[in-house]
Amino acid sequence: MKDKKFRGKRLPADSVQAMGMLAPMMLGFIVFTYVPIIYILRYSLYDSNGFKESWVGLDNFVRLFTRDSAYWKSLGTTFILAFGKLALEIPLAMLLALFLNKGIRGTGFFRVALFLPAIISTAICGLIFSLMFASYNGIINTMLQNIGWIQKPISWFSNRWTALLVLGLASVWNNFGINMIFFLMALQSVPKELYESAEIDGITPVKKFFKITLPMIGPTFTSVLLMAIVGSLKMADLILASTNGQPAGGTEVVMTYVFKYFFGYSGRKVEVGYASAMAVVTGVILAIVSVIYMRMTKKISSSVE
Amino acid sequence: MKSMKKQRILSNCLVFGVLTVIFIIAIFPVLYTILGSFKGNMELLTSNSLFPKKFVLDNYVQAWNMANFEKYTLNSIFMSGTIVLGSIFTTTIAGYVFERGVFPGKELMFGMVVSSMFVSLGSLTLYPTYVIAKFLGINKSLWGVIIIRVFGLNVTNLFITRSYIRTLSKEIDEAAKVDGCSFFAIFARVIFPLLKPLIATIAILEFRHSWNDYLMPMVFTLSNKDRMPLIVGVMNLKGSGEAASSWNLMLAGSSIALVPMIIVYLFFNRYFIEGLTAGAVKG
Repeated sequence: MKDKKFRGKRLPADSVQAMGMLAPMMLGFIVFTYVPIIYILRYSLYDSNGFKESWVGLDNFVRLFTRDSAYWKSLGTTFILAFGKLALEIPLAMLLALFLNKGIRGTGFFRVALFLPAIISTAICGLIFSLMFASYNGIINTMLQNIGWIQKPISWFSNRWTALLVLGLASVWNNFGINMIFFLMALQSVPKELYESAEIDGITPVKKFFKITLPMIGPTFTSVLLMAIVGSLKMADLILASTNGQPAGGTEVVMTYVFKYFFGYSGRKVEVGYASAMAVVTGVILAIVSVIYMRMTKKISSSVE
Repeated sequence: MKSMKKQRILSNCLVFGVLTVIFIIAIFPVLYTILGSFKGNMELLTSNSLFPKKFVLDNYVQAWNMANFEKYTLNSIFMSGTIVLGSIFTTTIAGYVFERGVFPGKELMFGMVVSSMFVSLGSLTLYPTYVIAKFLGINKSLWGVIIIRVFGLNVTNLFITRSYIRTLSKEIDEAAKVDGCSFFAIFARVIFPLLKPLIATIAILEFRHSWNDYLMPMVFTLSNKDRMPLIVGVMNLKGSGEAASSWNLMLAGSSIALVPMIIVYLFFNRYFIEGLTAGAVKG
């Protein structure tokens, strides 16, 4: 509609310049963002190893929904890991933000220091945690033995649940800082007067948080949580850098599972067509999660009002 | 009144206590890595203390000379440096055009860029991206990663830039236009110099992203180990058969990867935190 004013006229020189300036980036964006999506949509209907391809219709999807329990297991693991670690990460980040927001002298240091883990590469984080929790000479086992909590070293990575626990801790360590900062920014925008009148009424800190703070920062809180959920469901580097899905696929998440089919990583054979079908389904599932989340938060926020 | 004051001091102590405990836990893995990198390999396998008995530099010498870390470090510096420089230009230009440009199809294009945030597939599109790079002949070196990052438009950075330019008065543009500046000249001579604080933010965000990136550079250097950046090089050690005997190298390599990032953070933490939050709030 807006473009009507251009119709039938020669473009002004400034418009031509603007388009010329944007063209390389627009081209790059289309080639590296949209073309890959189209590629995946197309290849989900093919059987392909990257060199030879043949049309198979919906066979890949049939295989995924009927015969590949490992995919669904990895999807389940993803949800367990993501929501399990967020159950620790989000309250921790909120608590720290509340503490830092009190404006007590000397807490500025903590704001900088507690954010430090968030700048560290996720892959390095996975490596460090797998070294710290190594069964024989890992420092965590040694420390636990020294204080007498355990008698012999725990083999963290040979049991699915302890391995997931370590991965969860690693991810919390790597990500709580960023959520803490988001919450802190939101808290700083809450007017102080609101608290002052509440304090005169003698309200408890817990009540103060749920009755005043949370509703005030509600919009930020819901969008930070959405980013955290989607980000956690897309976890890949951490797993590849630490357990790589072991033991026996028990810590395989959906992103690493699909990744391995695409690249034939870890001894798997390259199945581009099937991997594409999995990518399509995973993308749809991620979108559904976001939509459900947004519906739910809308309902909650409208019921509060 | 007195009891209230006492209560306040008590609660402040509690806050400090909790913050300190979390701080120790948060800093522990970093200390473990950096201090561990100074332990001898024997000590690493037997020691139960965080601090090395004797600081040895052997691990670094070995990592640097034998495990190819000299190359990896140079590759990382090259890759991150080029991406940071390149995306400063592409991001500010794109932000400027989307904010001040007038041409048909602008809204449509911006809509396309924004909507890509909702169809994000993360690492799922890495393979097709690689295939495209192969088609373009840029799949065998870090240039592929650089080109994708520089020209692929980072939506978050674009948002930050666009809203920053929006805060600049349009009168500046108009005055420059009266003086005979073209659309591009206004950007180059007037707008770009005004973007200094924003450029710092973008540079920091891009540095963090590209220095820490793992999957994409790994895929692009699979067949060419000499081109690996640090993070990929360190991970490569872990994947190799000698993982058990190369703890010292992994710790030294990790430290080489960590320390520049930490130094940059300590000097520019204001920009880090501002940039990340600006991206979240406006994106």
